[in-house]
Amino acid sequence: MAHKMKVVILGANGAMGATSGAVFAGAGWEVVSLARDLDKAQAALVTAQNAARAEAVAERVKLGTYDEHLDEEIADADLIFESLAEDIELKKAFFERVDKCRRPDSIVASGSSGLSIAEMARGRSDSFRKHFLGIHLFNPPQVIVGTEVIPHPETDPKVTREACEMLAHQLGRKVIVTRDRPAFVGNRVGFKVLNECAQLSEEHGVAFIDYVVGPHTGRAMAPLATIDLVGWDVHKAIVDNVYAHTEDEAHAAFRMPSFMERGIKAGQMGDKTPKQGGFYRKDGKSVEALDPKSGAYQTLPKPAPIPFVERMKHYNREGRYAQAFGAFADARGAEADLMRRVILGYVSYALNRVGEVAESARDVDIIMSYGFNWAPPSAIVDLIGAKNIVKMFEQYNLMVPPVVEKAATIGGKLYYGEMLDYGRTLVG
Amino acid sequence: MPKSAPVYILGGAQTDFARNWTKEGKHFVGPMREAVLGALDATKIDPKEVETAHIGNFAAELYAHQGHIGAFFLEVDPAFYGLPTSRHEAACASGSIAILAASAEIEAARYDLACVVGMEQMKTVDSTTGGDFLGTAAWYEKEAKGIEFPFPKLFGRLGDEYDKRYGLKDEYLAKISATNYANAKRNPLAQTRNWFMSESHAQTESKFNQVIGGRIKVSDCSQVTDGSAAIFLASEKFATDWAKRHGKKLSDIPRILGWGHHTAPLEFDVKVAESREDEYVLPHTRQAIVDAFKRAGVSGIERINAIETHDCFTTSEYMAIDHFGITKPGESWKAVEEGVIEMGGKLPINPSGGLIGAGHPVGCTGVRQMLDLHKQVTGAAGDYQVEGAKTTAMLNIGGSGTTSCVFVVGK
Repeated sequence: MAHKMKVVILGANGAMGATSGAVFAGAGWEVVSLARDLDKAQAALVTAQNAARAEAVAERVKLGTYDEHLDEEIADADLIFESLAEDIELKKAFFERVDKCRRPDSIVASGSSGLSIAEMARGRSDSFRKHFLGIHLFNPPQVIVGTEVIPHPETDPKVTREACEMLAHQLGRKVIVTRDRPAFVGNRVGFKVLNECAQLSEEHGVAFIDYVVGPHTGRAMAPLATIDLVGWDVHKAIVDNVYAHTEDEAHAAFRMPSFMERGIKAGQMGDKTPKQGGFYRKDGKSVEALDPKSGAYQTLPKPAPIPFVERMKHYNREGRYAQAFGAFADARGAEADLMRRVILGYVSYALNRVGEVAESARDVDIIMSYGFNWAPPSAIVDLIGAKNIVKMFEQYNLMVPPVVEKAATIGGKLYYGEMLDYGRTLVG
Repeated sequence: MPKSAPVYILGGAQTDFARNWTKEGKHFVGPMREAVLGALDATKIDPKEVETAHIGNFAAELYAHQGHIGAFFLEVDPAFYGLPTSRHEAACASGSIAILAASAEIEAARYDLACVVGMEQMKTVDSTTGGDFLGTAAWYEKEAKGIEFPFPKLFGRLGDEYDKRYGLKDEYLAKISATNYANAKRNPLAQTRNWFMSESHAQTESKFNQVIGGRIKVSDCSQVTDGSAAIFLASEKFATDWAKRHGKKLSDIPRILGWGHHTAPLEFDVKVAESREDEYVLPHTRQAIVDAFKRAGVSGIERINAIETHDCFTTSEYMAIDHFGITKPGESWKAVEEGVIEMGGKLPINPSGGLIGAGHPVGCTGVRQMLDLHKQVTGAAGDYQVEGAKTTAMLNIGGSGTTSCVFVVGK
């Protein structure tokens, strides 16, 4: 690299700020981690060292505070990466400061996971607005490489391209460009499915939902366990934001279940509150599952094996994914209907975002696959067959996304890649 | 040396080496199918055209309690039912032995199109158990039984032997490690592509970079990897037809220009004792290189544009540098210091990241190396392309320098 890149991270002490520092340092960048005070910046460095599993990260990371170092460090930075709390006024106040001291050609990026990028740029200078965009990393960024780049209407297209190039080729990210809509593409689609599963758990039970819509349907982790990992508070922030600011065919799926609202008030946040628990409560080796109706925890009831689930697992185990989805399509009974409703709902909703918030099916596939470790929706279309899946959408009163309609009419494959790209997401 | 019939490489595919098949709930046949189907897709070969299959695998019996690996090729596609298949084992050189067997069949005009698969699943056991399994690549009873992580210790002693004969500073080993990790960042299928590494991290013993044995730290080691790769080798007859189908000339298709294959005594002490008077620490490895160059009609290392070598440890890459003739014996450090072997250097080694950066699914490695040479020669290596790579070489080693396989690949 002829020029050594320099990034200044604002809010370096947050989980994302600290771990993204490890990502930039890993690429050989000069990193400046800024926080309110030096102790906080120091703690961020330790987090980054643990994330990178290398003390030597310290050689590439300089620590500082907003009061003392911000103006001077920003003056020669190539990238200013904002990773402050999700408070738009706070962010805007910082951007006002950044605007005054940044180099005119530097890129300024917000790491927000769903706030309006255009709103953050409002009131800033021409140069700032042209060089401002969102860079949404997924947690933990040193492991999950899916990345969304979100320009606002005034972002210079050249800057967007430059940011994408830099993220893909210097930082090893899988990048898509999305529109500036609530929760962008990944979280919009992902949390629709997760929240729907949370809603369904009230009637069907936690263990049952995680079994029937489990890893065999194309995900590294079962859905309710995923919400526990994310944190109930974060989950709420995302679905509430989408519920309040969008109106689409799956609006009701974004309504927070009341038992979760009650749980959050009682301090139930998932894995980060091990005592209170979430959908699961772990104590040493024993795991209990929440009964959403009563709020009580019960020793995890092992769901009785359901033949179609076991068949899908068996086929996935041997890499016979088309056969797994054959079993998916052929399965009978209420349990099979529930699984199909959620998974087909995922595919329909995800691919129906093409044109609204995502540019292409390929972009949706990349972000679901590399941001969530879920089977890319187009791959599921191909495995079931476009014509077959259109019939199934109709059967479950789901919208037929235009891209799927087209694939069913003209034939051919919808997924951009091959089995080698998505095989890892179909778990045996 | 008698001239044998040419063997063409039509292309192939590999799995993402960052995957963990156990976490995915996979039997190895799953990702192996993905690799073969991916190779069929990449080369637009019809399964019905395949005539023979050779699988390189080290120890599925230990890692997955499964033998008879050749027969698993039939699980990829019913069109393969009835095909002759076989499995080949020579520890970490298993993949190359499978390539040699397939080449021999093509040279002998038995078959026109062979599929060569490499496959190893290693993340089924903890690291100590895995280390013990790997010990069977040495003379287990004498060199590995009851020893924790025997192989890092054996390759640490290779470094010690260099130190004794010529002097060796560990900073050069650290630079070899950092270079492989840096290269891996450009390879989208490399296991460590998102990991942190720097020369100073590799040089320093720390909580995250502990000593595994002797002078070998974690950063000096290749990875424990689940991986599979598949390539197609073809006779001139098939390659001519295939080239026509793809609108190419036969001269556009890479070939195995030459090969070398030598075996040294299993025990490390015996190897070192034998080479005491030799300027090369592993003379049989050197001979495999010399043979491959001779068969390829390559006058010397100056004709080679890129190398994929067997860096199971930094010391084995250090050894490869002088054994390939990049420097005089004992002077490998010069090539490291001068940046000769880095991307952009005169002769990049392991643009893929090698075993340290890209990963080391033991029985798959030789096949992965040849696939990478094919990518380099056809200009298909993307961000890790070596500009103008025309003639390339690979070294794949089994055991502590016991089995050495070398191929020269070019057009």
